[in-house]
This record gives sequence, structure tokens and C-alpha cells, in this order.
Amino acid sequence: MAFYAPGQLLSPNLSPSLSSRTRKSTNATPSASSSAIKCDLSSTPNPQSFKSLSKTLAFSTATGFLFHLSSIPSLISPTCNGTGAGNGDFSGGGDGGGGGWNGGHGDEGFWSRLFSPAAIAKEEESPSQEWDSHGLPANIVVQLSKLSGFKKYKVSDIQFFDRRRWTTVGTEDSFFEMVSLRSGGIYTKAHLQKELESLATCGMFEKVDLEGKTKPDGTLGITISFTESTWQSADTFRCINVGLLPQSKQIEMDADMTDKEKFEYFKSQEKDYRRRIERARPCLLPLPVHREVLGMLREQGKVSARMLQRIRDRVQKWYHDEGYACAQVVNFGNLNTKEVVCEVVEGDITQLVIQFQDKLGNVCEGNTQLAVVRRELPKQLRQGHVFNIEAGKQALRNINSLALFFNIEVNPRPDEKNEGGIIVEIKLKELEQKTAEVSTEWSIVPGRQGRPTLASIQPSGTVSFEHRNLKGLNRSILGSVTTSNFLNPQDDLAFKLEYVHPHLDGVYDPRNCTFRASCFNSRKLSPVFIGGPGVDEVPPIWVDRAGFKANITESFTRQSKFTYGVVMEEITTRDESSHISPNGQRQLPSGGISTDGPPTTLSGTGVDRLAFAQANITRDNTKFVNGAVVGERDVFQLDQGLGIGSKFPFFNRHQLTLTRFIQLKEVEEGAGKPPPPVLVFHGHYGGCVGDLPSYDAFTLGGPYSVRGYNMGELGACRNILELAGELRIPVKNTHVYAFVEHGNDLGSSKDVKGNPTEFYRRMGHGSSYGVGVKLGLVRAEYAVDHNAGTGAVFFRFGERF
Amino acid sequence: MASHLTREWAGIQQFPAATLAKLLELMGKLKQENVSSLTILVMGKGGVGKSSTVNSIIGERVVAVSAFQSEGPRPVMVSRSRAGFTLNIIDTPGLVEGGYVNDQALEIIKRFLLNKTIDVLLYVDRLDAYRVDNLDRQVIKAITDSFGKGIWRRGLVVLTHAQLSPPDGLNYDDFFSRRSEALLKVVRLGARIKKQEFQMVDRVSLLERHHEALECNMDDFSSIMLGLRESLKLFAYTKKQAATMPMLEIAVSINDSAIPVVLVENSGRCNKNDGDEKILPNGTAWIPNLMEIITDVVSNGSKAIVVDQKLIEGPNPNDRGKFLIPFILAFQYFFVVKRIQRAIKDDISKESKPLWELRDMGLANRDF
Repeated sequence: MAFYAPGQLLSPNLSPSLSSRTRKSTNATPSASSSAIKCDLSSTPNPQSFKSLSKTLAFSTATGFLFHLSSIPSLISPTCNGTGAGNGDFSGGGDGGGGGWNGGHGDEGFWSRLFSPAAIAKEEESPSQEWDSHGLPANIVVQLSKLSGFKKYKVSDIQFFDRRRWTTVGTEDSFFEMVSLRSGGIYTKAHLQKELESLATCGMFEKVDLEGKTKPDGTLGITISFTESTWQSADTFRCINVGLLPQSKQIEMDADMTDKEKFEYFKSQEKDYRRRIERARPCLLPLPVHREVLGMLREQGKVSARMLQRIRDRVQKWYHDEGYACAQVVNFGNLNTKEVVCEVVEGDITQLVIQFQDKLGNVCEGNTQLAVVRRELPKQLRQGHVFNIEAGKQALRNINSLALFFNIEVNPRPDEKNEGGIIVEIKLKELEQKTAEVSTEWSIVPGRQGRPTLASIQPSGTVSFEHRNLKGLNRSILGSVTTSNFLNPQDDLAFKLEYVHPHLDGVYDPRNCTFRASCFNSRKLSPVFIGGPGVDEVPPIWVDRAGFKANITESFTRQSKFTYGVVMEEITTRDESSHISPNGQRQLPSGGISTDGPPTTLSGTGVDRLAFAQANITRDNTKFVNGAVVGERDVFQLDQGLGIGSKFPFFNRHQLTLTRFIQLKEVEEGAGKPPPPVLVFHGHYGGCVGDLPSYDAFTLGGPYSVRGYNMGELGACRNILELAGELRIPVKNTHVYAFVEHGNDLGSSKDVKGNPTEFYRRMGHGSSYGVGVKLGLVRAEYAVDHNAGTGAVFFRFGERF
Repeated sequence: MASHLTREWAGIQQFPAATLAKLLELMGKLKQENVSSLTILVMGKGGVGKSSTVNSIIGERVVAVSAFQSEGPRPVMVSRSRAGFTLNIIDTPGLVEGGYVNDQALEIIKRFLLNKTIDVLLYVDRLDAYRVDNLDRQVIKAITDSFGKGIWRRGLVVLTHAQLSPPDGLNYDDFFSRRSEALLKVVRLGARIKKQEFQMVDRVSLLERHHEALECNMDDFSSIMLGLRESLKLFAYTKKQAATMPMLEIAVSINDSAIPVVLVENSGRCNKNDGDEKILPNGTAWIPNLMEIITDVVSNGSKAIVVDQKLIEGPNPNDRGKFLIPFILAFQYFFVVKRIQRAIKDDISKESKPLWELRDMGLANRDF
């Protein structure tokens, strides 16, 4: 089956262990009554199946997110070749369930079963024909013991009756959630007895009774009458972390102990408890919440069961809000003293297990070395730390970014050997190591008369292969060849072969260096040989690059990195008809084409070979504030010629880009909150000293240079300065923006050989301003070209900065 | 056709006696200044009469001229010697093709001129063109870019088709001065001669338009110039007709950069004076006049333009500052890369960690 139970992801099976503890504590301090039920996180009590299902549901809201991440790809497209493993939509943790619904498309039965307990009850009970009528006269009160043990009663109505207040309490009362019975459910006498027993032992009630009332239609109305437990008032509150504390010994209280013995017994119990409190570690609960609870205690004179429930809810809420998904209030101790002690199991991690699974979910030996995975884990997931769901998410994200696994689960489960402990299990399903792919397509090319001819139908496509995770160290080789015509591949062949070697300093070194080597080729239209405004069509020049590149990337943070390496390449400049073209071209008014333009290459032959060193350092501390980018980004890029190649090119080509995203208003962060208005400043300086072939000249104009102009429309120059400002105002779910930009060649166009700026009659500088709106990925903007004074509407993909 | 052989100047004999005498006198004058050869470069747009002018000066039909066809695409050098004095005239193809400066033609000219010395540049245009446009400016700019600003110190503006009847409402002088003024302005713009110089020239021409007695103006003028602390020389070439037709040719020399304007009429129907000399509407015999101005320009103290490889290719911007690259690289490493690295470190230390991480590190102190 393709479905995947999300509950298995994070299922701290805490209830059993906790309930045993509570039993103990009830005994240990007779005054301290505590709760088994309290420890269930689930707020929707179920009939029968409650116990088994509540565990899986317990974290469903919290895990929905994880589920979202890890298993959706495998669910939606089980055949997807793995690159999509966790497409990394990290936002929207709030609606975790959403992913699940999508995933379970074909298995509605399962999901509905999982999410609606009533349905399960029905399903479990229904096979043997509905329910039995009580067979008694209507409207009489029946004690529980008087009910028949063989009948299945249908409960049509449940009421709570508070004996102390002498009122019936509604379903909104906090006690109600402790009862797993639901109206409409079908129960046997044994069920009802068990329910009563669990209510009686939970410590919340001094006395609790269950009565049935017969209804005319054969169903049963149930009234639970109770007396709430109360203790003397307290004025201090203490919260302790009892996780991993060894069980205190259970000394059964003998029924026929003398008073003295009893006194001794209680005394030793108290001593034990005090020691326990002392040994307990301080808990994470912050003082503000602490004070809040204290306020609650002071407000109400007596400590009542409801009161404790509220305290429990408050404390647990804080823990769960902060992501401590495994934290539980397990007990209230020291009741009937001046102090209320809230015992919390915070979820200390006792073990971290990394496990590989095969496609069927069986544990298997993985190819990946564990250290590769381990270095991606935040240290908060290691032994001795408190489990936090955020750490789990981070682990998921980090592991996912390795792109080695198609399914990742981070699964905290209770440690059976170590009470209150959590074992974090990381279950990984590895992607196929070797993949190869051939995709083909036929493109029909218009022929002479615009009609496709047989000869012009070309088979095109891509052949690619990938060998991932070599030696289990995440090294990979990948290659691809793309051509638009397989019959004549030399016409237009794009290839790429890349080797990636991460953890250059060894897997255990904290430095994160990656070595990359690649062979590549590319073909681009040169923006240098572009006409200025009003110039007739300039015959295009294509710049073909083919070469080899090797570099080392050192990542400092997720976004900041330093890359350095060497590039060796051959550059060929071609005209429209793929002939090598050593000079730029110009259309003459007579219709002819003159090839007396600026030289395209350094060598003057149309083919350059050169080797140079390249370095790039990026400092990026931008972050998202409600979806708006805020922060700073600095990039310095350097190409240093080494004097190797045609005409011994020696040059220093450098670019510095500074971008500032300034948040103009403090906003509250959180999902669904509006983003702040942001002011963006952008400056780009580029310069080149030494040999500068045309294909390396800086070009002015274009969506990433000066908006409102075409690529290269303003010129090609040796030194470049671009300045831009943009104001982004959030509107609804998107933002509108206004911008001003200026680009200038600093008079350096004439320092490019052949002065292509002048040759194609371009200005060499230009400004623009305009407004735009972001529509999803597309930017729609109206930009006014300041040189001509005319405006136009543009649609662009992606961000400018 | 391009005869590089230096031939005896036969054509000089054809000139009327007065012209001949004048030419010989000028040659002698040049020889006195140790100038035994003179190279004149003739440039201009197509169809303005460059080749005809060359023919007129030499007095022979050395370059083919056709009324409707553009001249040959290659430059031609004509060399003539007379009495130990050599005159080289280089005729060039028109610089304009299809409304644009023909860079290819310019390239050919430059290559042709390689290793030659240019003494004088004749920038030829027509007098009977009424307006100047951007194209003129670009032609000038192309010439300036090719040979440097210095060429204009050795430059003359030659206006052909001088024998014309000006449009209604203008007398010949007015027309001429306006035309030359406009053209000079373009030359100055195109050649990027300093604005200051340009303004001075403007003032000079302004003064001259009201042709009062030159002397009195001279005083005013020099006082202005003195005020500007600029050395200035003003030449006025006046002929015997100067009384009736003043300001035939104006040459303003400021900071040794003088661009005289000379009129030329190559047509066979050109009026002639008693001595059979070709004369302008104002009565000047233009060939001796032209030669005289050329002689003056040559002896104005400026340097001749030597065309070498460097001049043709221009200063190679790719070579500029190359030796600085190691220093630039060091600077970049220590002041840019290191700085950004430090900023990254700062970022890491300043990074706001989520609360749960802080709590885990024991930094929370139960405050949050």
C-alpha cells in the first residue's frame, strides 16, 4: 500500500510508561493525586481503539510537518527518481495535516479511520450487527453493576454531574476530555467498567460513579457523577524535570500498619520525594510562565483537580509551543503542602540511532557512511539534549540537502530502558546510486516557406547519467549531453560532466569544503554586439565556451561561501550562420553586412584559449521576515588572468556587488503575518585591468543591470558602475515596488578594443525608473527609459536582486 | 595609379607666371626653414572635391576624377619635386558611406599612412553645403581619434566650390563667414578642442563679423585675451582687395592651434584674373593663397604628425596598468576578501539563534 501513517514518524509511546509512573506517585504521596489521562496529549478521546490510536495521533499535528517533508515525494510520485526527495517546502508547518490528505488520496478509508475515531468504533463494533437494546423499561436508572455483561449498549447521551456543585457540567468542561466514552458509541459492560476504573484511579476525583438511564429507543443515557478532589491552597509553584530519574522504589503500604508505622512510612515517602525534587534537574520553563502559573494558584484558594488540569495545560502548552513535542507533565507532587510541584518529563534524548531502510521499509545496511549524515545533525539531537521538534526539522532539512535519500524520517520514540528518555531514530531510504536517463523529443523546424519539411524534422533530446554517493561519501559524477539534432550532433551539442567531492578535509573536519571539477560548454548571445536605440538590427554574435573548471567551495554558513579555482576554456565567437567571426558585424544601409566591427576575441582570430584563476566570496546574511528578504549581501568576484593562452592574457577583472535590504518597520514574525516594507539598495562596480576581450567586457542594460533597457543596450565597457534603489511595499499576499536605477560606463567604453559601445551607437550610460508588482514568480513592471523618455511594460522571471 | 616615385613637377610650369612666382617664393621660404619636403593629407567626406583639389594644386590630372562615381577606395600619394623641394599630396577616399563614417576606409588610410609624416592636413568640404550635421562632427572625430588632436594644429579647412552665388538675402562674405564659422565649430566639437579655446574663437569671429578696423579691434581683443591670461596671436590674411573685400580668409591662432579656412574653386569655369590665375569671387588667386597658408601652417611651430604603429592602433587600453595587477591583486586580497571574510565571521557570531537553541546552550537563564 502506498499510504504512510504519519503517526509512525513521531510516536513517543509515552502513555504506558507515564501511567505506570503516576500510579506509583499516587501511592507514594497519597495526597498527590495525578493523572494517567493527563499525559495523553491527544485531546480527542476515542472509544475502544483510543489507546492504540491516541499514540499515533499524539503528534500528528506536530508531525504533519515532518511528514510533509519526508514522505510526500514518495507518496505523490512513488516513481519519481529521487531528486525530488523532500522538495523542501519548509514553510507552512502550521497546517501539517494538509500534506497528509494529499498523500493519502487513494486510501481514504485509512485516513478517515485514522482521523475520526467514531468511525473506527463503528467499524470495530459493527460486524456483529449493530447494538443490542437494553431490554428494560424506559426512563429508569440502572447501576453499572446491573447491566448485562453480554449486551452491547448504545450510548446515546453522556452527562457529567458535579456532586459538589450539584450541577450538570457540559461537554466543554475540562473533565469531559478525560472520558473516552462518546455519545453514539457502542460499549459493553466491561468497557464501561474499565472506564469507570480509570476515572477512579486518575486521582482527579474523590469519588466517581457511573449510572445508566434507559431510553425509550433502547439506547442508554450515561451519567457520570463525581466529586472533584481538592487540596489545601498553595502559594508556591515549582516545576522540575524528572526525566531520566530512576524510579523510586515502591513500598506497598500494608493495610494493617500501626499509626506509628504509617507515620514512618509517610515520613520516608516525603523524604524520598524531597530527595527526588532535589535530584531533579531544573526545567526549561521560563519565569514568565512560572509567574503566570503562580498567579493562577493565588487567584484560587484551594488547589482543585480542575486547577491542576489548567496548570498542566498551561505548562504543556508552553512546551509544545516551543517545540518540545515530547514534554509531558507527568505528575503533580507535594499537594496538600504550600507548594505545588509540577513534574515534567521534557524528553531527554538518550540515544541517536541512524537507520537505513530499503524500499520496503526493512532495516538494511546503507551505502552512505554514517559520518556524512551525522555531521548534518544539529547537536541538539545528540544524547543529553532535550528533544525539540525544531532541531528535528533542522536535521530533516540538512539531511535533505544532501540529496541522498528519498525518504527521511526523524522519529523520537520513548526509550524503554530509560524511563522518560527519548531515542531519536533517523530512518533513511537511500536513492538509487546510479541513474541514467534518455529523453527525446522531436522538434519540427519551419522550413523554407515556413512549412515544416521532412528534412527539418529533427530528433533532439538529452542523455544523462549520474553516479551518486561514491564510496558512501556523497561524491558524485554526473554527465549530460543535449543536442537539438541527434542525426547531426556536432551542430548544437551541449555537454556537461561534473565531479563533486564534498568534505574535502575529511568527513570529521568541521570545515565544509567541496571540490568540484567540471567540463562544460555553453552558447550565449553576446550582449556586447547589440545595437543601441534606433540602430538597425545588428547581426548577432554567439559566444561559444567550452572548457574545464575546477574549484573549491568553502561554506561558512548556509549562504556565505568562498569559492576559488581555475578555469581553462576555449572561446569561439560565431555569427548567425555559425561561421567563426573575428569581428563584430554591422548591417549597411545597402543591405550588405560589413565585418569591420570591434574584434570579438583577444587573439583577433575568433578563437581564444585561456586559463585564469577565479575566486568568489559571498557574504549573505539575508533572511526571510514573513516572506520578505531582509539583510545584507556582498559578493566579490575576481578573475585573474595568468598569462596563459592566446596572446598571453594577463588581466584582473573584478566585481563587487553590495546589496542591502533594509526593513523599514518592525513587524511581528509568524506565519500569515504581513511582511514589512523593505528598502533595497544595490551597488555594483566592475572593472578590468589588462587584457579585456569583448566577451568579458561588462555590459550595461538589461533586467539584471539597468531595467527598462534591453540586454547590452547601453554599452559594453571596461569599468562599470550600477546603482539601484527599490522600495517594496507589501500589498495583500504580494508586494508592489518602485525603483530607480542608473548604469554608467565611467567613460571606459573607449578602453574596450574597437569601442563596441560607440561602434553600435550606444549611450554608455542610462537611468530608468518605474513601478512593478510581483505576481508569484513573475515580476510585472513598467519601466521608463530615461534616455529616450519612453516607458514600457516588462514581464520578468525571478528577482532582480 | 599610386605612384610613389617622385617625379619632376611638370605641372608647375602650367601655372600662370604670377602663381608660379609665388609658389617658388614659398618653396624658397620653406627651404630656408630647412623644410625640403611637404606632405599634405587630404581628407573629407565623399564627393566634396578632394581629388579635384589635388589635381588643381599639382596642376596635372594625377588623380582620376569622375562626376558621378566615387573615387577609388584606396588612398593615392602623388609626389612632385622641383628644385630640391618635394611636394607629396595624399588623396584619400571619402570617409562617409551610407550615412556613417566608414571605419574600414579609415583603417585603410591609416595603414597607407604608416611610417609617413604628415605635415599638413586639408580637411575638405564644400562651401555650398548649407548646414553642418552630426555626420560632419563624426568625420572630424574619426580623424581626431585616428591621428590625435595635434593634427588640427597642422590642419586647414578647405571649402571647395567657392564660386557660388549665395542664397537670397545673404552676401557672399556673410555666407562664407557663417559657413566657416559653423564648420569650425563642428571641428572644435569633433576634435574636442577645449571649450575655453572654442569660446575665444567664437569671440574672435564675433569681432570680425563686424568688420571694423582691425587694429582697433585688436586692442580690445588683446585686452580680453590678456584678461584671460592666454597668449594669443591673430593673423589676418588680407590681400590687396582687402579694402573692399575684407576678411577673405580668417585664421585664428590660439594657443598655437590655428585652423584656417581657405576657399578653393576647382572648376574649369573658374574666373580668372588678368594674369590667368584662377580667382575666387573676391578676386583672390586661390592656389598661391592656399599654398601660402599651408606654408604658414607648416611654419607655425607645431610638430608634424608621424604616423607609426602606435598612432594607428591608438594607445592599447589592454596594456594600460598591466604592471599594477600584482598590486591590485594584493589589495583585493587584503582589503576586500579579508574584509568580507571578517564580516562573515561577525555575522556568524551575531546570528540570532532560535530560543530553543539558546536554551539548549544554557543561555536562557529561564528568561524566555
